[in-house]
Amino acid sequence: MAAETDAPFVVEALSIVKRFGGATALAGVDFRVRRGEIHALLGQNGAGKSTLVKILNGVHRAGSFEGRILLDGRPVSFGSTAQARLGGVGYVPQEIEVLEQLSVAENVFAGQTGLGGRLVRQRVLERQASVLFRELGLDIAPSTLVAALTPAQRHIVMIARALAAKPAVLMLDEPTASLSGAEVDRLFILLRRLKAQGTTMIFITHRLPEVMALCDRATVLRDGRVAAELKRGEFDAGTVIAAMSGQRLSRLYPAHTPPAQSPVLLEIDGLSVAGRGHEQRALEGIDLTLRAGEILGIAGLLGSGRSELLGAIYGSVPYSGRIRVEGRAVTIRRPKDARDAAIALLTEDRKRSGLLFNLPVAKNITIGNLMLFSSGGVLNPGAERAAALRTMRDLRVKAPSPNAAVAHLSGGNQQKLLLGRVLMRQPKILLLDEPTKGVDVGTRSEIYRLIVDLAETGVGLIVVSSELEEVIGLADRCLVMADGRFVDAFERGAGSEERVLRSIAAAQAERAA
Amino acid sequence: MGTLEASGRIGAPPVSARDRLIRLFAVGEVGVIGALVVVVLFFYALEPAFLSERNIRAILTVVSFVGIIAIGQTILLVNGEFDLSVGSVAGLCAVSSAKLMTVFALPVPVAVLGGVLIGAGIGLMNGLVVVRLKIPAFIQTLGMLFIGQGLIQVVTNGYPVYPLPPSVSAVGFARPIFGLGWSFVFFIVAAIAADLMLRRTVLGRNMYATGGNPEVAKLVGIDTDRYKIGAFMLIGALAATAGMFVMADLSSGTTSIGSGWELAVIAGVVVGGVSLFGGAGTMAGGLVGILLLQVVQSGLVVIGVNANWQQIAVGIIMVLAVGLDILRRRFFIAGGAREDAAPADPSPLRSE
Ligand SMILES: Nc1ncnc2c1ncn2[C@@H]1O[C@H](COP(=O)(O)OP(=O)(O)OP(=O)(O)O)[C@@H](O)[C@H]1O
Ligand SMILES: [Mg+2]
Repeated sequence: MAAETDAPFVVEALSIVKRFGGATALAGVDFRVRRGEIHALLGQNGAGKSTLVKILNGVHRAGSFEGRILLDGRPVSFGSTAQARLGGVGYVPQEIEVLEQLSVAENVFAGQTGLGGRLVRQRVLERQASVLFRELGLDIAPSTLVAALTPAQRHIVMIARALAAKPAVLMLDEPTASLSGAEVDRLFILLRRLKAQGTTMIFITHRLPEVMALCDRATVLRDGRVAAELKRGEFDAGTVIAAMSGQRLSRLYPAHTPPAQSPVLLEIDGLSVAGRGHEQRALEGIDLTLRAGEILGIAGLLGSGRSELLGAIYGSVPYSGRIRVEGRAVTIRRPKDARDAAIALLTEDRKRSGLLFNLPVAKNITIGNLMLFSSGGVLNPGAERAAALRTMRDLRVKAPSPNAAVAHLSGGNQQKLLLGRVLMRQPKILLLDEPTKGVDVGTRSEIYRLIVDLAETGVGLIVVSSELEEVIGLADRCLVMADGRFVDAFERGAGSEERVLRSIAAAQAERAA
Repeated sequence: MGTLEASGRIGAPPVSARDRLIRLFAVGEVGVIGALVVVVLFFYALEPAFLSERNIRAILTVVSFVGIIAIGQTILLVNGEFDLSVGSVAGLCAVSSAKLMTVFALPVPVAVLGGVLIGAGIGLMNGLVVVRLKIPAFIQTLGMLFIGQGLIQVVTNGYPVYPLPPSVSAVGFARPIFGLGWSFVFFIVAAIAADLMLRRTVLGRNMYATGGNPEVAKLVGIDTDRYKIGAFMLIGALAATAGMFVMADLSSGTTSIGSGWELAVIAGVVVGGVSLFGGAGTMAGGLVGILLLQVVQSGLVVIGVNANWQQIAVGIIMVLAVGLDILRRRFFIAGGAREDAAPADPSPLRSE
């Protein structure tokens, strides 16, 4: 399956230097991709991966950086993403960018002309879209409005959009960050087929197993420079992590034993949530108990109701059923009610429901926590700034300054910033929806450490993640969700990825029968 | 994992001359203030009488009326909404309070309170319709603009309400400071209070969050609906106040009070860098923008330019100001990166 090692270079980026204001994101990078290979681009948060692919496909226009770009040996300079697309370069950005008020099909073919002349025929679009979706395994009608999709589904729509233009070189910036196991598998089947058809791909990820499963070569960036170039067979976790960080990793999942008889923090009885669109119920009669100091994992596929469950507990999704916090019945109608009950939520989609792009880094951290730095409603700027700096230091948020625009942080640093915001008020119950989405291996183990530390201090945590390995590795108790119900549960050490997948398959088969 | 570089960068950012320049330009008001100085010098050079005491006073008097409403508009824009009905609300509240103190013979303070309550009530209605029924503010407040104009005619039958009790005229004629009226005093006090509110209080910060991304604001526990409705009520009450000050100034409840103000107010604050998209802008910027437009209009009169050209000038300045503002953000804040349309908000940058 490996591409011939002497295939000619299709993409060559030579001596690339990119500065943002005073900060240097890329400091002289040489990056070469051979024809027909899947080339992994690796590195810690903020290493410059996204910046490099943005340069290659015209998001950062020619002239805004130094260095040369060759496609098929010919120098190119893209003034826009549209030019790059015409030049045969496809791009799936890291953050979700969709047109919410258009249908899925329209989103997929947005920006393309020549489909049935000037009159873009809805029918034609939908038929073409459904072909693509079948390949991607996406089970939604092409006429659905994108506004109704979950973040993961939106991501698949973006991948379909890039593929629709049939690019010769396809660049995927963390395409798997919001997908769960089954979707990732389907994506990989598709990418392998594209590769067999001769498409060259650049693939950014923080998940090393994916690199081993899929990629032929890898380039590791560190602080805007190339730290290593590796071939298939050379990328074991040790080598890659050493190249990325210059240090070795200890155990990824820290040990944790939940206290034996700790008080119950959260009790949920018969919780149901109405479904969107055609499905009747997103959640059906969920029961759940969370004890102090416990890490509860919820595993499930995309659309299984995981995010709805967290949303209902947090008051951002209307529900029916009973919720008790520390033995007291509570009615949670809005997020504010949840926060008053010491519940906090880290949301899944940081662009849409996490970051405030009009406020700088420090103020993004403190928003929602201002009661801590104010008296009588008047802010104490010194205390606020100090607290923001402390969070940035503790969580190692890499930012040019506390006053920098959040849009300029790398994805993983944005994630850490949001985690810092959520932790600032010291919640008793912490709901984490994809806590390590887009976070590099080193930071990831820091976040795991943090989760376990919080549990040791008596916080109860519910962790939802698309990565089964992560849920299983972290959770003291793991619940498996399918079609809005729990279909299996097991204690730490008693389950495996295989067991989760089997329970889900069994539940789906039962439902179908 | 780069602890060192992370904390090193956060701790003490080295401040080069270039950085300082960038920071200076990142302060939203610098552009408008610069423009204001240039324009003032320009008119002064052409016609020294432009800076005569009388003319300055005339400019500041008009600014105080329109500015009172601009305070509300800036706050409402920060919350992500805007109000086109302010002119007719000002007029309606003025003539209504005039009727209350003449036809209904209510004591002046009660009649004034009545006027403010009508303004706040209309604001409440605007807010409820926009927030609860999700009708765009543009439609709702444009509708209210017409409704208000109609109601002015209904209330007055088209005749000015006149004469008013002597105490009203007394307020209108009083010149407590620098030969300027009570409206100016109110304007300054309200502007300072509003500026402190936006920059220094939880309320103000939550407003920026509400205008920046309501979904995020709700998730961090901010009742965005209440903030928006409150801001609509505030601008209604302020419009009423401005309308009644003009009434006192004229000693008459004239039906034309407030007509055309809505556009002057929006144009002014937008020139001052308050974003139409919500969540960005400062009180100082908005009010300097109002002053700039007023200076231009007055200057054109003083140097003897035809009235039609004044309007044309206002239009050009508004488009230029917004265009320059977008360029400034692109080059000085985003570091030349085009994809970062998300602007860094000038106000938070400023307070550091
Ligand atoms: N538009 C911008 N303005 C200023 N700085 C930027 C901008 N975009 C990126 N940077 C900075 O450049 C560096 C590299 O960012 P980049 O997004 O390429 O990282 P990344 O490797 O993709 O990280 P992640 O894995 O977290 O997505 C970071 O330090 C980031 O703060
Ligand atoms: Mg990235």
